[in-house]
This record gives sequence, structure tokens and C-alpha cells, in this order.
Amino acid sequence: MMYRFWIACKKEFLILWNDKTGLALMFFMPILLVFVITIIQDSAFRIVNENKISLLIVNKDEGTEGKRLIQMLQDSKFFKVTENDKLQGDEINEVMNEESQITGLIIPKEFSEMLAQKSNLISDIMMEELDLKNEETHEVELTMPSLKFYHDPVLQENYQTSIKNIVNAFVKSIEGDLLITQICAHLELKEAPEKLKKAMSSNQVAIETFSATLSDNDITPNSTQHNVPAWTIFAIFFMVIPLGNNIVKERVNGSFIRLKTMPTSFGLILSAKLFVYLLAVILQVMVVFTIAKLTFPSIGLPPLSMPDNTLAFLTVVVMTGLAAISFAAAVGTVARTQEQANGFGAVSIVIFAAIGGILVPGFVMPAYMKIVSLFSPLYWCLEGFYTLFLRGGDWDVLLPTLLGLFTFCMACFGITFLQLKKNKII
Amino acid sequence: MIDNCIKIEQLTKRYSGSTQDSLGGVDLTIALGDKFGILGPNGAGKTTLISILCGIIEQTSGQVYYWNNDPHVKVQSIQQKMGYVPQEYAFYDELTPLQNLEYFAAMYKLSSSVIAARSKELLDILGLTEVMNKKVATFSGGMKRRLNLAIGIIHEPTVLFLDEPTVGVDVQSKMAIMRLLDQLNEQGATIIYTSHHLDEAQEFCNRIALIDHGNIITKGETVQLLKEHNAKDLKELLINLTGESYRD
Repeated sequence: MMYRFWIACKKEFLILWNDKTGLALMFFMPILLVFVITIIQDSAFRIVNENKISLLIVNKDEGTEGKRLIQMLQDSKFFKVTENDKLQGDEINEVMNEESQITGLIIPKEFSEMLAQKSNLISDIMMEELDLKNEETHEVELTMPSLKFYHDPVLQENYQTSIKNIVNAFVKSIEGDLLITQICAHLELKEAPEKLKKAMSSNQVAIETFSATLSDNDITPNSTQHNVPAWTIFAIFFMVIPLGNNIVKERVNGSFIRLKTMPTSFGLILSAKLFVYLLAVILQVMVVFTIAKLTFPSIGLPPLSMPDNTLAFLTVVVMTGLAAISFAAAVGTVARTQEQANGFGAVSIVIFAAIGGILVPGFVMPAYMKIVSLFSPLYWCLEGFYTLFLRGGDWDVLLPTLLGLFTFCMACFGITFLQLKKNKII
Repeated sequence: MIDNCIKIEQLTKRYSGSTQDSLGGVDLTIALGDKFGILGPNGAGKTTLISILCGIIEQTSGQVYYWNNDPHVKVQSIQQKMGYVPQEYAFYDELTPLQNLEYFAAMYKLSSSVIAARSKELLDILGLTEVMNKKVATFSGGMKRRLNLAIGIIHEPTVLFLDEPTVGVDVQSKMAIMRLLDQLNEQGATIIYTSHHLDEAQEFCNRIALIDHGNIITKGETVQLLKEHNAKDLKELLINLTGESYRD
């Protein structure tokens, strides 16, 4: 029995070994994807977090507040500010394109004056309401000037909104400052008292940031922690091409039928396939994770932090492998030709990846897509890896994910069994 | 003493979804040591009959008795003694002949030493020794046919089923295959075979059954049948009994 199992495994290994395209899909593709996607995402991440966003400012303001705003933007360390006040009208578009500036801002010439008028008006109203002023304030309609914000057309909308919010916050800060100054002037104070200024600038509500992990292991979510598991899962499922093909071939060329006339159990043949492809999955994970672990820091990418619970990690890998193998077996037994298996297999994996959160993170999906994603095995696999790699979760957190994968495996093996039965192979 | 290798009584087969029987009450006895030809036009039911005898598909009704009418002997229990050579190249193109033989022989529960010895012997007899380490994908049709046969006989079966074993091969390969089948028969194997090559069947088979539309039209010793029907060869006999209309 063991000898037959060993020979059946040897045959599966040799067929896989001789399938260079299948091997490339299983081993070369994930390495390439992990590197390319992580580098791209990391660079996008750094644009916001480390690399300052380039900002071209045209300051037409005739007062001092424009300069103050520019100083505040520079001090924020969020922008790399370039000032060119000579630009007129739409010239900013040309210069932004020539100098590859991502964002631009035009401060209008009446900026300081209008801010002063606004603070003056508010201060007058306040004085009047507090009975500190005798004469009545005339109702004045102020038309506030607009800051003109330009952006590279490819800049994502959420970045645009963030930048506008920052500029807006600084303008509000200037307005507040001007208002205090104006009130002090009304109170015939030469300048705002130091105590008031200090109280205004301090005692801000702070925002402390924490990662919502479930363990003491301080794993920082980053592009590496997402991409290495995500694209490895994607590649694991691409075994639908070699394994699905292999099964279709054996069915169509009569090998399975021939085996039926032999004194051997079909379970042994399927177990050998399962064993060899499961080993291939473990090898895939080892190769991709080892390469990522060893090379990412040296090329400036965030290092890969491995989860503490090795057994849980191995279980997730094995369940991912079983899900991929069962899916490939179902495709291989249902498809009539190798072309069908290849086409359906590849397209279905890409769709599963898209709805499962591999291509686009699940949290940005609309609510109904989050429900749809539950039908993707890649979602459950990714959840398993996320639980270990990003959330530091343990067995009890993993259990629903493992149950989801188990259900998928059973469904696929059920389809495989029924198809083999229908084809009189078992 | 065992005389009959296989005895078939009122065997019928109707595939699911079909409105007519592929086999309609076949009665047949194949004696031990026979070189038995199941002959007939396309779609006559030859492959269906062989598939039932090998246990690939189940009959709708009727009985098949193996080994002298013993009703307790089921096909699964004699698989070790049974060889099957399908019409398709049922092996792995990505592997070498040696690797293919090793795999299928192991599935016949042969030990590694027996596998090595039998593989060497068969590759030698069938002229495949020189290419035993080359991938089968590069082989000609004749080489693939010979390998297909080698896989079916590696465990030295006592009853061998062959479905069109020489289709699409050159004269040299055909001669090698038929010579080996003769040798196996001389060593005691019962051979049950289907073919479209009627001259080859006439030369090889001591007994035949002509089958058409799922029914046995005639059966018996080849020489005797030709005499009875006053036919000069099997081709004439087949045309006389089944007509000249197409069987697509």
C-alpha cells in the first residue's frame, strides 16, 4: 500500500515537475507579484507618509496672512512648498505639468484684507452682544475670496480632500488668531495677553494612534504584511491550471478508466494528488515568505513580521492549500477540455481575488460586495492570514475562518465526487 | 476443471438518456485460451461489451460469469488477473515509458523488483528500450500503441481485453503487437479483442462473434463460420450479414 502510494506521489511530482508553465504560475508569478505590488503600494504609501506632497503656491495676497499660511503649510511637514508669485491665471497648470507638481494653490490678492474684515465684523457683533459697544453694527455681507486648489488629475479624491482639509484648518487657525487680535483691539488692549495666546495654542485634544491587534506582538500593518500573504494565496489558487489540466487529461485520455480496471483504490490516487500538491503549497509559502523576509528590508520595503503562533500559521496554510486543491479538482472533473479548465480556472481565480479582497481591500468595498465576498474562498484564506499577520489573532478568532474554508473544501470535494461518479470513474 | 473464461447471459445495456439498447440481450461464452474477436461495424456495441466485461460500466440487466460460471466471482476480485488495453493512449505523455510502466505496474500491486524486470523485458520485446528514458510526448503513434499494450500486460494477465490495439499504426508495429499477443496466448492467456482490421482478426482469432445494433449476429470458430456462410473472408462475411449501409 505504502509503495503504491509512494509511486503514485512520484508520478504526480514528475508530472508537476515537467509542467514548466504550471510551475512558473505557482512559484515565479507570486514572487513577481509580491515584489511589484508591494513596491508600488509602498511607494504610494510613502507619498503620503514620508515623501512630502509637492505644492506649488502662487501668493497674490497683498497682506501678510498669505505668507503666514504658506509658513504654516511649510511647517506642517506635509508639503514640499515651491512659491512662484509671478504666475498669472492658468499658467499654474503649465508649470505644474512641467515641474511635475502634484498640487497647486493660488492665494488671492484680497486674502488678508477679507480675513481682517471678517474678524472685524465678528468682533463687532460680539462686542455689541456683550454690551461693550454703543454704536450698532451695520449688517454687512462679506464675499470671502476663494483659494484656488489645483491637483494632478491622477491624485485620488481622498488625498485631495485630506489636503483641502489641512489648508482649511490652517485658514481657520489664522481666522481665530485674527479674531482674538481684533477683540483685544476693541478692548483697547495693545495686543492679546500672553496667557490667552498660550491657552489657545495649548490644551489641544490629542489623537493617540493604536493598531487594533489582538496580541502583544506589535505588528504594524503595512504593504508587506498585506501583499505577501495576499499574492501568495492568489498564486496558490492558480494551481487550478496545472492540477485542473492534469485531471482533465487523465479523464479524457482514459487513464482514469484504465485505473478503474486495476486492483487499486481511486482514493489512493486522489490522496497522492492531494499530498503532492499540498507539499507544493507549503513550498510555495516557504519560498515566497523566505524571499520576502530576506530581501524586502534590503530594498527599502517594510520587513515581513511572522506571526507568533506557528501551528496556527501552518493550519491556515494547509487549509488554504486544501481549498485550492479541492477547487482545482472540481474544475478538473467538471471541465470537458483542458481549454475549458484553463479558461474557467484562470478567470474564476481573478474574480475570486477581486471579490475576496486580494486586488482591492475589503474595507473599501460597498456593503453588498462585502456580502458577495463571503462566497470567495480567497476571502476566507485572506481573513486567516490577516488574523495572524495583521491582527495577531489566535485559535478562537481563526475558528470561523477555518470553518468557512472547511465548508468550501467539502462543497468542492462533493462536486468532484459526484462528477467522477457521473463519469463512471468511481 | 475450469473451461469457460467468461460466460454472458442475456446481457443488456441502455445508457441513461438513450431510448434504445446499446446491447440487447447478448449471450456468449469465451473459453479459456481463446483468441476471441468481437467484430462489427461502428456503433455496433463492441466497446460497450468490453467495458462491461472489464467492470468499467455496469450492465442494465443480464449476467456475466467469470471462471467457469462461478456466480460469486465478481469482476473486482479478478482485476489482478485481468489486463485491459483501451483504444485511447491511456497513459502520461509527460512521463517516460519506464515511469509509465512503473506507475501502472505498481497499481497492479507488483513489487519494485518485478516491475524493474518486467519493464525491461517488455520494453525490449516491443522495441522501446532505446527510448525508455524519453518523454512519451515525442513518440510516434506506433510507439505509443506498443507502450499502451505493454502497460496492459505488465502483470502477466490470464485474460486480456484489447479494444482496437492496432488502430493507426504502421505494419512493423502491428506485427510486433500481434506477435506478442500470440506469444501471450501460447503461454495460456485468453485474449478478447475488437478490431476493424478484419484480415488481421481473421488471421489472429480462433473464434469470433459478429455484433451489430447491440446483438450477436453470428458466433463460432472463424474457419467454421466462413465455411457455413460461404464467405471467402471476414470482410465478405461481415458485409453479407450486416449490409453496406453506413453506421455513423
